[in-house]
Amino acid sequence: MSEYNVINSRATRLDAPAKATGKAVYIDDMTLPGMLYGALLQSPLAHARILRIDTSKACKLPGVKSVVTAKDAGLIKYGVSPARYDETLFCHDKVRYVGDEIAAVAAVDLATALEAVSLIQVDCEELPAVLDIDAAMADGAPVLHNDYPGNVCAEVHAEFGDVEAALKTCDLVRTTTFKNKRQDAAFIEPQGCLANYDLSGNLTLYSSTQVPHYVQRTLSMVLQLPIGRVRVVKPYVGGGFGIKAAANHMELAACLLSMKTGKPVKMNFTREQVFTYGRARHQFIHTMTTGVKKDGTIVALKHQCHLDGGAYSSFGIATVYYSGSLLGGPYKLPNMKYDGYRIYTNKPACGAQRGHGGVAARACWEQQLDMIAEELKMDPAEFRLKNIMVAGDVTCNDLNMSSLGMKECIEAIRDGSDWKSKKGKLPKGKGIGMACGFFVSGAGYPIYRSDTYHGTVMVKLTEDGGKALVYTASAEIGQGSDTTFAMIVAEAMGIRLEDVRLESGDTDFGVDLGAYSSRQTLMTGHAAKEAAEDVKKQVLDVLSKELNVPVSDMDIRNSFVVFKKDNVDFSGLRTRYIKEHRGWTDNPQSGPLTFTEAARIAYLAKGSIVGTGKYKPPQLGGKYKGAAVGTSPAYGCSAQVAEVTVDMETGQITVDNITDAHDCGRAINVTSVEAQMVGSVSMGLGEALFEEVKFDNKGHVINADLSEYKIPTMLDMPSVKPIIVESDEPNGPFGAKEVGEGAIMPTIPAILNAVYDAIGVRIHELPLTPERVWQAICDCQKEK
Amino acid sequence: MLLPKFDFHAPETVNEACQMLSEYGLKAKLIAGGTDLMVNMKKKILAPEQIISISQIRELDHLDVSGDRILIGAGVTVADLCESKTIAGYLPALGQGANNLGTPLIRNLATIGGNIGSARPAADLPPGLMAYGAEVVLQSKAGIRTLPLDNFFLGPGFTALQPDEILTEIRILVPPAGSGAAYVNIGIRKAQDCNLVNVASYFALDSNGIIQNARVVMGCVGPKPFRAVSAEKILIGQKPDIQLFEKAGEAASADSQPIDDFRSCATYKRSMVGVLTQRTLQQAWTRIKNQE
Repeated sequence: MSEYNVINSRATRLDAPAKATGKAVYIDDMTLPGMLYGALLQSPLAHARILRIDTSKACKLPGVKSVVTAKDAGLIKYGVSPARYDETLFCHDKVRYVGDEIAAVAAVDLATALEAVSLIQVDCEELPAVLDIDAAMADGAPVLHNDYPGNVCAEVHAEFGDVEAALKTCDLVRTTTFKNKRQDAAFIEPQGCLANYDLSGNLTLYSSTQVPHYVQRTLSMVLQLPIGRVRVVKPYVGGGFGIKAAANHMELAACLLSMKTGKPVKMNFTREQVFTYGRARHQFIHTMTTGVKKDGTIVALKHQCHLDGGAYSSFGIATVYYSGSLLGGPYKLPNMKYDGYRIYTNKPACGAQRGHGGVAARACWEQQLDMIAEELKMDPAEFRLKNIMVAGDVTCNDLNMSSLGMKECIEAIRDGSDWKSKKGKLPKGKGIGMACGFFVSGAGYPIYRSDTYHGTVMVKLTEDGGKALVYTASAEIGQGSDTTFAMIVAEAMGIRLEDVRLESGDTDFGVDLGAYSSRQTLMTGHAAKEAAEDVKKQVLDVLSKELNVPVSDMDIRNSFVVFKKDNVDFSGLRTRYIKEHRGWTDNPQSGPLTFTEAARIAYLAKGSIVGTGKYKPPQLGGKYKGAAVGTSPAYGCSAQVAEVTVDMETGQITVDNITDAHDCGRAINVTSVEAQMVGSVSMGLGEALFEEVKFDNKGHVINADLSEYKIPTMLDMPSVKPIIVESDEPNGPFGAKEVGEGAIMPTIPAILNAVYDAIGVRIHELPLTPERVWQAICDCQKEK
Repeated sequence: MLLPKFDFHAPETVNEACQMLSEYGLKAKLIAGGTDLMVNMKKKILAPEQIISISQIRELDHLDVSGDRILIGAGVTVADLCESKTIAGYLPALGQGANNLGTPLIRNLATIGGNIGSARPAADLPPGLMAYGAEVVLQSKAGIRTLPLDNFFLGPGFTALQPDEILTEIRILVPPAGSGAAYVNIGIRKAQDCNLVNVASYFALDSNGIIQNARVVMGCVGPKPFRAVSAEKILIGQKPDIQLFEKAGEAASADSQPIDDFRSCATYKRSMVGVLTQRTLQQAWTRIKNQE
């Protein structure tokens, strides 16, 4: 039995009825009176100088209300990281990828807007384009941004310990190179927004976003709107996975068009535009050299990485840091050197996607560790356990593992998959493999330099006493965060979940940095708990005075007031309550004092009862350059075992089972934790086996739809056995930490290791398509 | 994505539909499930002015055994094929194609006529149908003609169908005792995929257990699904066994004409023709043996 009344259980999600019945409102369901439709003109060329833009024909088309270009939008640079603001709302001098935004139109309907877009004439001088890392880094290569010669968007050089000296002391040193492919997160709902600039000069943007707060700031800055005039509201969102974690051009364009026309303007991406906008996982090329002792002790890692960044920075500065820093754990690693380079290419920008920066690095390293274990004749599980960190350990790059159930996760999947009776004993074509990983529970610092709280929450009791209302600017994007915070508030106040109502995703509700870096459960959760405790205290303080009972002798549980000592006579309060609610159907007649009565009495004494909560991480991490990226108040960790069957003649892989353990500190909603674990497996499996955004030699995405960009179907999904490990994180609300991203880390390398076990040959490039696996098997047979 | 503008017609008889086609000619497109046409219209690849739906024509919905022939109306959905006992009993290779086509949602809409008429080289139903020696019935205002399915496909998206003709029915002789067939396809993932290679094989034994007739049909490895003639020659006159199937697979590989494309390279596809030919022949043989 759990010691908790609400959390640590399987709660029905608050949004389940609305979503199950189709009543949940997404952007595409929304209309406002007089609403116009917007459309974007996007570059058909990968690299070109803009000579002239003529919008006259478009402006004359009946039904067109506004046509805007860089002349109207201005040239204020923006982006994700203030260190690399390299985008403007519309291109003015050059276009840098197929899809780069040149102009936007608002018209009475979408067909007219699209026709107007086709009437805008752009004279261009086509420039040579660089479409991969080698071309972009070649001597004399065309340069995308004059400020970044050599097309190096960002580079990171960090060393902890002395790697060269340490490698000399090793008994075994191995080097491997690995590459993944550019991804698309393939969320169900393409980005969309509805901008409404009203007659008082206030701008409200409804948007399918993960980060109302950052969008609000970007709108204010780029559109030069005064403080306090911009509000961003997030309706239900059909997934984001990192791609919706920054303001996009369409949001800015819709707002500009609404400001120009004085009417609401709605815009949506098509699925093709989702691909051409990009901002999902980069392609990484990793070269890693790992040195170990004979007994399996890991001594040093030398790591070089190149990222194909696309045309703009987006989240890329953080990405290139993360791909190095996230190898600091979960194994004891005293010496680590990292050289990372993010390279501009004439393709859509890449950004953050689930497991930001760490997924390909983890895949490369966990496969290499298995290779080393094999050479040392050690069992991969034993090899990992020998090097594992435990709670309280600090990585060489100053990441503090304040809780870490990594060892427990490995033991759980080893035993849960019957590893010992399978490893090394399966017939040809069958394989088993394991891997580990960890991830932050929220970035330690906001994206812009600030002392801001990362999350604020307000809890207000309804004046009739019946309900607690929770207001948070956090972003429910399908992951279940609304339910999580309602559960935390209910638990902290001592009331039932059904006595909580929650509103979220509105910048008017406070500050919340949003749904990225797996931060909300820990950070927003802290603020929610604090606000709830504040309200509870206010109610108990009033009761204490009214009944002359010390607060310490009272509590609230299951929406009833509990008196710890003698029977307390509260009949006076009950009589007052009932007198005020004559004729109401649910007045308490007998039994213990209800929370509703107490809340009403508190209101009568003090007016509206409002509690507030806030959270900001303490000072974290080291002092070196880039130390901020990778810091977090807590780290979640995972281990998985994959079991596969490989068709040795066709190269087709079937993932039969995944045994999946994740340490989430404490599960608030058990069902949601498992859902994140299984969802992570699905996304990792897709990247491992199928997914790749492909381009032609002119920089066009050639598989910009979900029939040719192949995410897993239900038939591709293995049976997943989720095992939750709880480590009681000291920095988390009720001990909770992340699950949304750490859970993806082991999936790809576990599959890679299992495929090796099945076919006897290592593959160092994703995805593991039938052709690539077949080729590897053929090459191996030839060698023999 | 917006559809181009069009007029919509929903005739209730084949004759009415033929009348409309003769009137509108190339300005018209037939629609049944629309799983191919709608995609191409949204992508602005096609913009027919007139769309003639054949979904209301009940005379296209039949699936019967009539004498020695199995008759399948062109409007029969792929889901119907999946559920049909007739198909499972007589034409399991066609059933395998149907069960591997798209997703349940696509199968509920897509029709056998559409899967043939759209003439995609990677389509799931034509190899099985050709392996069984199917004929198609083409009807216009001028009358009815029949054509072996082998001669129907001309290239990707191109068929022998005239602009005023409707594909109304597929006819297949009931396979004789001692015959069997199978279909296998492979893609990148397990469903909802454009095939990389698909093969259907059929053979019939005489009373001495000698292969007297064989058809091996390959998809995805040429501009249209086509027969692996040298593989068939190797099979005919021989007793079935694994070595023979292996040789037939090698011959089919040599017969195939795959090209490199963004889904896969030709070398892989050519090799897979061999694997799938062997596997389909093996399955067909198992089916024959199970009849005994």
